[in-house]
Amino acid sequence: MADSDNDSGGAHNGGKGSEMSPREQDRFLPIANVSRIMKKALPANAKISKDAKETVQECVSEFISFITGEASDKCQREKRKTINGDDLLWAMTTLGFEDYVEPLKGYLQRFREMEGEKTVAARDKDAPPLTNATNSAYESANYAAAAAVPGGIMMHQGHVYGSAGFHQVAGGAIKGGPAYPGPGSNAGRPR
Amino acid sequence: MDKSEQTQQQQQQQQHVMGVAAGASQMAYSSHYPTASMVASGTPAVTAPSPTQAPAAFSSSAHQLAYQQAQHFHHQQQQHQQQQLQMFWSNQMQEIEQTIDFKNHSLPLARIKKIMKADEDVRMISAEAPVIFAKACEMFILELTLRSWIHTEENKRRTLQKNDIAAAISRNDVFDFLVDIIPRDELKEEGLGITKATIPLVGSPADMPYYYVPPQHPVVGPPGMIMGKPIGAEQATLYSTQQPRPPVAFMPWPHTQPLQQQPPQHQQTDS
Repeated sequence: MADSDNDSGGAHNGGKGSEMSPREQDRFLPIANVSRIMKKALPANAKISKDAKETVQECVSEFISFITGEASDKCQREKRKTINGDDLLWAMTTLGFEDYVEPLKGYLQRFREMEGEKTVAARDKDAPPLTNATNSAYESANYAAAAAVPGGIMMHQGHVYGSAGFHQVAGGAIKGGPAYPGPGSNAGRPR
Repeated sequence: MDKSEQTQQQQQQQQHVMGVAAGASQMAYSSHYPTASMVASGTPAVTAPSPTQAPAAFSSSAHQLAYQQAQHFHHQQQQHQQQQLQMFWSNQMQEIEQTIDFKNHSLPLARIKKIMKADEDVRMISAEAPVIFAKACEMFILELTLRSWIHTEENKRRTLQKNDIAAAISRNDVFDFLVDIIPRDELKEEGLGITKATIPLVGSPADMPYYYVPPQHPVVGPPGMIMGKPIGAEQATLYSTQQPRPPVAFMPWPHTQPLQQQPPQHQQTDS
């Protein structure tokens, strides 16, 4: 166990030079979720050792940081402040995960469609703001949605997605509390 | 081994793979993949060119026979792995197309966002970014686990261990960013130094994602011995003889034989 702690700390201290959350578990996804997904890739009679699960936990966090870092660099070059789904897909292509991009494109498209439906329902508007497929139109639509309801900014300031930024304000408006329960409760939820 | 022999051997292997043994093999995995998901339109092609191994000079016929058996094993193994990966991507496409509810994620979005925010440069994240990552991380875990399991099977085990993950990381260039996570002794066990020295990559690694490079050393000793086992005295000798070979002399890519295009539908006799 001491070795595991040392390896984990050493690896992530080297990987991230910035400040880290004092809570160890916050740096990884829950081991129960990771374990469940791992089992889907294996035969029924396969077993997974504890240190293998922990290693994959670390690998996933590294994957998120790896892709996020590349996407963040792209946003800075383009003088944008918000990382969106397309930036992540671009980063995955650049970093060798092309096979992931095609499935995720369809996933992202349908997510945006659902966001559009919810935006219409929430704002009681006739025209869906996601008629235009381009990303800039998507952002401007959210901008318009946020501008249309100035109180929304103040209302959702403290939410998990309520931090500064028009895009996230719209997101916060759509995603209420029940949509994002605490990490602990999500661990036990069946798919 | 000339080209016609390789073609013939590959055809025989393909027929064998489609036989009862392959059916049994697929049945073991079919519990995780619904039958309908195996027949998918628009399945992404898994392009993995297989290099033709230049047979090394052997003094005895016993070594020659062992070498041929090893090569047969490699071909069979590669075919099996490609089938698994094919099913994996097919399953992913089906699963994503069937996704209706974006609220029930397999991974908590708040935690994903927290990990993203660990980078100081990251300031603002759109609501869709953690949603995309939830699905991407699931695919990443599935792929890494699947490739790790290959190493577990090579060692005749049923428990996935940390060194299996280390093996998958060292064998796939796309996972190079994970090298720091694996302790050095785990990489040593895998013979990373020897593998890198004897198999230089021609061209940029980005051109060949997810390519599985088997260790380029002949398996000697009992026919049942599987590569990946701890290095014995005999194998250590072979490794030392392999090492002085100049890297530039080994050109695996020009000898790449074209990958047989697998039919998108898998005929399962026992389904």
